[in-house]
Amino acid sequence: MKRLIGPQSVLRLPSARIAIVVLLGIAVLTAFGSTLAPQNPLTINANALFQGPGAHHLLGTDYLGRDVLSRLMAGTRLSVLTALEAVGIGLVLGTGPGIATVFLGRWFDFAANRVTDALMTLPYIFFAVAVTAALGNGLVQAMVPVGILLAPFFFRITRAATLEHARAQYVEAAELMGASKLHVVRVHVLRKVLPTIAVTTASMTAAALLAVSFLTFLGIGVQPPAPTWGGVLSSDLDYLAQAPWAPFIPGALIAVTVGALNALADAFRDRRGAGTLAAQPGPIIRTHSTLEPADDDRQSQVA
Amino acid sequence: MSVVSIPPSAGATPPRRTPAGRIAPGRAGRPGTPPRRRRSRIVAARLGGGLAVLVPIVLISSFITYSLGALSNSDPAATILGQDAATPAAVARLNRTLGLNHPLIVQYWNWLTQAVHGNLGRSYFTQIPVAQSIAQRLPVDLSIAVLAVILAAVIGGSAGTIAAIRRGGWFDRGVTVVCSAASTLPAFVVGIILVVLFAVTAHLLPANGYVGPSTSIAQWLAHIILPSLALSLAVSADIARQLRTSLVEVLEQNYIVGARVRGLPYRRILVRHALRNAAGPALTILGNDFPLMLAGAVAAEAVFSLPGLGQLLLQSAQTRDIPVVQGLLLVVSCFVIVVNLIVNTTLNWLYRSDDGIGT
Amino acid sequence: MTIDNLKSPDLAAPHPATADRPATAGRPATAPSAASTTDLLRLDDLHISVHHGAATAVRGISLGIRPGEIVGLVGESGSGKTLTCRAALGVLPDGCIIDRGSITFAGRDLTTLSRRGWEDVHGSHMGAVFQDPASYLNPSITVGHQLAEVLRVKLGLSRRAARQRSVELFTAVGLHQPEHVFHQIPAELSGGMLQRVMIAIAISCDPELLVADEATTALDVTIQAEVIELLRRLRAERGLAVLFVSHDLAVVAELCDRVVVFYAGEVVESGPAAEIIERPRHPYTQALLRVASVGDFRRRELEVISGQPPQVGEDITGCRFAARCPAAADACRSGPIAPVTVDAQHEVRCVRAQEAWAAGELAAR
Repeated sequence: MKRLIGPQSVLRLPSARIAIVVLLGIAVLTAFGSTLAPQNPLTINANALFQGPGAHHLLGTDYLGRDVLSRLMAGTRLSVLTALEAVGIGLVLGTGPGIATVFLGRWFDFAANRVTDALMTLPYIFFAVAVTAALGNGLVQAMVPVGILLAPFFFRITRAATLEHARAQYVEAAELMGASKLHVVRVHVLRKVLPTIAVTTASMTAAALLAVSFLTFLGIGVQPPAPTWGGVLSSDLDYLAQAPWAPFIPGALIAVTVGALNALADAFRDRRGAGTLAAQPGPIIRTHSTLEPADDDRQSQVA
Repeated sequence: MSVVSIPPSAGATPPRRTPAGRIAPGRAGRPGTPPRRRRSRIVAARLGGGLAVLVPIVLISSFITYSLGALSNSDPAATILGQDAATPAAVARLNRTLGLNHPLIVQYWNWLTQAVHGNLGRSYFTQIPVAQSIAQRLPVDLSIAVLAVILAAVIGGSAGTIAAIRRGGWFDRGVTVVCSAASTLPAFVVGIILVVLFAVTAHLLPANGYVGPSTSIAQWLAHIILPSLALSLAVSADIARQLRTSLVEVLEQNYIVGARVRGLPYRRILVRHALRNAAGPALTILGNDFPLMLAGAVAAEAVFSLPGLGQLLLQSAQTRDIPVVQGLLLVVSCFVIVVNLIVNTTLNWLYRSDDGIGT
Repeated sequence: MTIDNLKSPDLAAPHPATADRPATAGRPATAPSAASTTDLLRLDDLHISVHHGAATAVRGISLGIRPGEIVGLVGESGSGKTLTCRAALGVLPDGCIIDRGSITFAGRDLTTLSRRGWEDVHGSHMGAVFQDPASYLNPSITVGHQLAEVLRVKLGLSRRAARQRSVELFTAVGLHQPEHVFHQIPAELSGGMLQRVMIAIAISCDPELLVADEATTALDVTIQAEVIELLRRLRAERGLAVLFVSHDLAVVAELCDRVVVFYAGEVVESGPAAEIIERPRHPYTQALLRVASVGDFRRRELEVISGQPPQVGEDITGCRFAARCPAAADACRSGPIAPVTVDAQHEVRCVRAQEAWAAGELAAR
């Protein structure tokens, strides 16, 4: 499993500091975006179509002469909140069973793993669009399936981390000394697993934010005049000939936010060896050594 | 498209790396079985085991898919008949014809058995068989997906390999920076950038549309190269990063020294001994990223106006054409399953070890 | 391809009949004649530093191996013997640099050899086996294919011929059921079998020299004896010279014609094996013999050498063993100690070389 380093040493990394500043900015926009917007994001101005960035419109105007900066600021709330909705659903559906499966026995574990495998085969975009077809066109509905599809990631990470810590010697010792299983989980295991969940949450938020932007880009879940990040991008695409620079602005906003979340998650992972989960999804072929003692105890524990 | 930097298989099984020399010499000699056949038998057994695991996965995911239709409160019969003709008697008659009067599980079973025979039902609106409209659009997505996988393997593979060989050099540092940037860029953003660069600004390649390979191979390539490139960029970055990490580790292994003192040529050691053993995690990434590539394909279709499955999905979702949506979801998840099966079988064939690869 | 006495690959005929020959006790009858004075491998004043030049680990090693000779390098871990043979093989670990000195192999300067040059020398003229053979074999390819690969690439054999030859070689190194072993991956074989596989690969292109770096260290005593017997037989049958590195003086004494004793990056004593075992001159060699309970120093209780060897890179004026030496005098610490020739081929790096025998004798009693 990965090793995690403490928050203090993470803050010493420049990448983590920049990421935190970016994310704080996004948080402010989420809370007060529409209030802070310099102009009304819905005001149409036929005299100022496709204006480049300038003094009056800092990021220019779109095909209806609306102020792009204001539209992006006002659109932040819906994009971020629905992304958090999906992450919340994934967190609840994933971590609960992930921790429980270690203690509930083989059959629960088997069933949970098969459901996880099945969910993994559903591409999120198809699933999300299909759900809006069934439940009606709305971003809140569309993010429910995205949340459900994030759950397997939380489930697997939590399960692996719990499994590792639940078999640790200090847990065994606590149990021998008469602590109840629930107490052991709460006091010992949960505290060790929480950092892992935090890292996963950061990268899953990045994934959810991309999903939101992508869905709104496809026109799923929002009625036209309402501003969203993906919506701004999508309208720019229709007028590339008039304003080829336009898509770069919302594109950069999405990429920077997603990048900041990923950078934060990366910073919390110990990047020293190849030991991070991100760097090692499968087994690397290492040599096995006849010099090492055969570690049959560990083998039987894990099996 | 991969912001999901935690691959699914990572936490799937606890670290089951079996300890050293675990197979005792006594067990090794199983004189009754001819060894060469044993190997293919092992691979076949794994493949069979893989298929056995797949059956419940297909059942569960297709059931989720099918239930979506039932979840919708829409009344298909009323929709099909239209406002005026939807008398209660007519609706009931049509429901019987469509089999909608049965319990959900029976409907699901009927749908699934039909699906196995290639019949995914008919569109509520156009009455065109779902399988037919999917088959019509599949080549578009298949073209860009296959080309994207090839591009990702070539670009990511060579970048990762060169970075690992020249570890610490300028190329290595450049690859690291570019990869970090590239994996945060979603395919629809990359696609737009490519359109702006190659189609709008430079007029080198067509910005949209699709031409089948039977019409003109050159035109076909010209139309799919940009979408494929957009799709492959993030996956290339993932592969390059992963391959660099594992290749650096493999190159430090003793068996590379062992191969050198046998006097094998450097190139052969790199390809046959180092890359072969380092490729596993990168291959796993390719398998894991495949669902994300499908999402990217939908994006690419939207950006490049390609008549693919994604466009069909969006249209059907808007009109709530449930059979088409169900059929699409089933076909796409089967694709994911098949790709994962191929990846896992390749891994087994490459490694032939008892470690829990590709479970 | 400038190497003389290049042997035809077909010379290495298998000897299945001799594969299970019981170990013959004592020294092989075919000790190389002292007349062959041209060394196959010659190291001169070799200096190797580690950690990118931060510390000198090997300080002026000189030694030579004649064709068909078995030379043993002994010393504690960290004494530089493994680095020395790694340098001779051209596979020094990262950060290790040859600072000074020359390595000559059959007239070729190995220190300036290109990658192509090494690809030619390795396998065809110089083979190697190591401690922990499992880690030196590719874990995901069958051992048979790894041997056949060498035969096909180096000797240009066809797939079928390489396969047949591999099985013959496996038989020649004493592997039972060679056809079966051919299809096994390293994880399915035991340490002793793997070392035989390694030897089969190392001799597959009939090299003149085999470098065996702690090749028997990790093996059971009985298997160790079998591998040593195999090396001895290969020398007798093919004229193979062996550079045998070990920290076990007992094993070296049993197998080698000549012994070179390493201490803290220097050669402290070298000479014919019988001479070194029976009349060691250097106090360190004497101490090693006592620890190993070999020769006249066979004693009942377990001995250790008191003190610690100097740190790698530590500069010491005079004898590097002085701090632990029971017979150390002021002369030992005053300046560099030059090797003294006490006998025809017996060299000792000790100021009291002429009297040390007696001193050691005293210390032992």
